[in-house]
Amino acid sequence: MKIRWVHYLMVSPVQLLVLLVIFVPSVWVIWLSLLEYSYGTEAKFVGLRNYIFIATDPTFWRAFLNTFIIVNVVVYGELAIAMGIAVLFAGGVPFRRMMISIVLMPYAISPVIAVIIWRYLLEPERGIVQLLLLSMGLPEIEWTINPVHAMSVIILLSLWLHIPFTFIILYTSILAIPEELYEAAKIDGAGALQEFWHITLPTLVPAMLVALLFRYIFAFRIFSEVWLLTEGGPVRTTEVLALFLYRYGFRYHELGVASATGWAMVLASLIIATFYLRQMYKRMFSNET
Amino acid sequence: MKHKPLWVKIIRMLFVALILMWSAFPILLVVVSSFKLTKDIFALPQKFLFVPTLQNYVLLNQLWPQFFENMFNSLIITLGATLLTIIVTTMAGYVYSRFRNTTLAASAFFIIFVRMLPPIVITIPLFPLVNILKINDTHFVLIILYSTFFVSLSTYIMKAFIDQVPKSLEEMAFVDGANLWQTLTRITLPLTVQGIIASAVFVFIFSWNEFLFAFIFTTTKAKTTPLIISEMLGAVIGVDWGPVFAAATLQMVPIVIFVVLVQKFLIAGLTAGSVKG
Repeated sequence: MKIRWVHYLMVSPVQLLVLLVIFVPSVWVIWLSLLEYSYGTEAKFVGLRNYIFIATDPTFWRAFLNTFIIVNVVVYGELAIAMGIAVLFAGGVPFRRMMISIVLMPYAISPVIAVIIWRYLLEPERGIVQLLLLSMGLPEIEWTINPVHAMSVIILLSLWLHIPFTFIILYTSILAIPEELYEAAKIDGAGALQEFWHITLPTLVPAMLVALLFRYIFAFRIFSEVWLLTEGGPVRTTEVLALFLYRYGFRYHELGVASATGWAMVLASLIIATFYLRQMYKRMFSNET
Repeated sequence: MKHKPLWVKIIRMLFVALILMWSAFPILLVVVSSFKLTKDIFALPQKFLFVPTLQNYVLLNQLWPQFFENMFNSLIITLGATLLTIIVTTMAGYVYSRFRNTTLAASAFFIIFVRMLPPIVITIPLFPLVNILKINDTHFVLIILYSTFFVSLSTYIMKAFIDQVPKSLEEMAFVDGANLWQTLTRITLPLTVQGIIASAVFVFIFSWNEFLFAFIFTTTKAKTTPLIISEMLGAVIGVDWGPVFAAATLQMVPIVIFVVLVQKFLIAGLTAGSVKG
């Protein structure tokens, strides 16, 4: 079959959607970031002033640091927990199909509902988790007033929502490892831990990279969880980059500052993703020699 | 699980129990609590034996009568976005599966690359534009947005599934004088129903649950369920949990059941999409 114009026509709706709805607006944002501009006012070209503004604003750097912390803890935490569950399940569990369904359930939950669930569990003085902590002689989680506690709850919530994604990727990859590899290892007298370290883990590196990359890119956008749980509070200490952008774009109506933040986000997420992937590759190769 | 010492089995079961607690218990708790009287919601020890009441659902209907309209909006938007995604990505997936040249390769890379850009960034230029075009607060704008953010993944999933249909079947049809439309609808698509479902599942779940775009682009007429629920949560200081739980249950139970039912396709789609994409 030779490719004809009709085939290009068939690809065009997907391309047009992505081009017009995501690509063009994202590039347009570069131009907006050079303007001082609000709804109903004349736009004024200000060069890099918006970038200087955010670069010298401590709340921006706080938001940057918070995003960085959340992304790293969440992504690696997910990887570790999902790996644990995947290995456990691959070893055989009763009612396997039903158990997988249950592990997948949080994937179906809206961030809004997840916030409701965890706010209920962590309601000061009467939430179940709080009472559990108190009964064990531990202090309450003061997520409404203590920034560190609030960040921990945001991280907990993200882990809860996103473990299923990483789990599925890892679990299906573990199932795809040929049984012979393990049999050969058994003949060589390898224990369970050695099997995991020398067979399961190295074989899973490509799947882990895929999961990491996807989750890195997606975790970096975190907005709903933070907005609905703390609104960035107390006093903007748990703000993340997407929230900083939202505040300037839709509350203060300073579209130039919001656009500059947007571009900083695009660049940061691309750079960090590249950096981490390269680090991962390096570590893999040094392990194998 | 054969030949393992007892203590290993016990530890495994403990972990399984822990996973169950972590994943299912919080969801179950909300559903169960939505049938409790307000005074029992925080009662300890948690009552799992109680006389169920629909009081919270009645209250929800009294306090937030628009809630059911919002659920209807969510349904229309979800179905619309899913349908649009299926149509455009089936066509694109077919072409990417059957043909190869530099233009196509570049465009396939393009849709994945663009997907890496954070969605919130596009809201700044799109918000005024949407207002100028007078499509703010419509189902249309959310359908387009939700679909756009899933066409990349869906195209790759469709391509992976169409790859499995032998090209020779289509060639035979062409030899018999069938045109492209007939070949696609009678030969290729019936053999890729699984792929279509797999690629639809993701956009369906996403559209039903999405918050950010709904928050920014809708105000009253096209408001979705997650948005109204977030308002319920914000409006009640010292939250009146009863109606909130009723609303949360109505929003999440259908989608949780859906995910359990399509689990097979979800896994297949994620595997196909992540290996290729």
